[in-house]
Amino acid sequence: MSEYSDKELLTLFKNIENRNYAFNLIVRKYQQKLYWHIRKIVIKHDDADDILQNTFIKVWKGLDGFREDSKLYTWLYRIATNESLTFLKQQKTKYLLPLVDYENQLKETLVSDHQFNGDEIQLKLQKAILSLPEKQRIVFNLKYFEEMKYEEMAEVLTTSVGALKASYHHAVKKIEKYFNED
Amino acid sequence: MEDFNKYLEDIKKDKTDLFTVPEGYFDTFPTKLQEKILSERKEQNAFIRFITIAKPQLALGFMIAGFAFISITAVQFFSKHTKLPVATEVHTRIVELDASEFSEQHFIDVLLDENKKPVQEKKKNAEHYINYLVDEDIDYGTLIDEL
Repeated sequence: MSEYSDKELLTLFKNIENRNYAFNLIVRKYQQKLYWHIRKIVIKHDDADDILQNTFIKVWKGLDGFREDSKLYTWLYRIATNESLTFLKQQKTKYLLPLVDYENQLKETLVSDHQFNGDEIQLKLQKAILSLPEKQRIVFNLKYFEEMKYEEMAEVLTTSVGALKASYHHAVKKIEKYFNED
Repeated sequence: MEDFNKYLEDIKKDKTDLFTVPEGYFDTFPTKLQEKILSERKEQNAFIRFITIAKPQLALGFMIAGFAFISITAVQFFSKHTKLPVATEVHTRIVELDASEFSEQHFIDVLLDENKKPVQEKKKNAEHYINYLVDEDIDYGTLIDEL
């Protein structure tokens, strides 16, 4: 399964007979990566599960028109990121919550969530990450946890490399401040 | 900052160790997803089938709705923009208001109203003259002499 490259998978998908098989391979190849990316944004498993499903449904619908201007991998991350941001926006408008309150709710979920596996330092780090603005949070997660290159991040977030470097730098500074204050 | 970056690297854990997921989640996810896509497709197909079957009825319905809309708009437009000529309007008013309600009593009332007006005006004028004569201390004898 892992021997298929993205290009091979796309070629396989273009053949109508192999379409379902190729899509299944894409799902199996990327489901975990995308899940963890989404989970770190929305924190709750059920929400991450819904968003992951919606992401792959969009992929299924859009893969036919995928023009390979960008890599499949960055395209998938872009859809997952946009779906997660849309979800957060919907949650805030649904419960009429200001940004800070919703982030505080997520922090509380983190503490009470039995699915959080990290130690005290990890919990502190997650709380510090949750206090960052949404986009900065995504930049930090992609760089720190996914170890994604700035060039790839620029494709995912449709931002310049310079802006991303600055964003990551600010994020680290804010996290450092959070650690020193707490 | 440099130190903190190092610290962040030291405490770094694999992302999969941070949260747990229900057991077997990633094994069952592709099947669950395929089912969802299939059910979405079925729904979509049902909608397309409905549209295909009900095409003539829908077309007729849209035609009737369109015709009704155009008719209502046209009626509203013409009733707004078509004014009756002035002469006709006046004539209609006379017929509707005056002629239909014409009676002898109505005629008498109008005449009485007309007579009332000068009387009131005259009274006002008389008061004015009397006040003037009083203020200027002009007596009746002087007035007779002057006239």
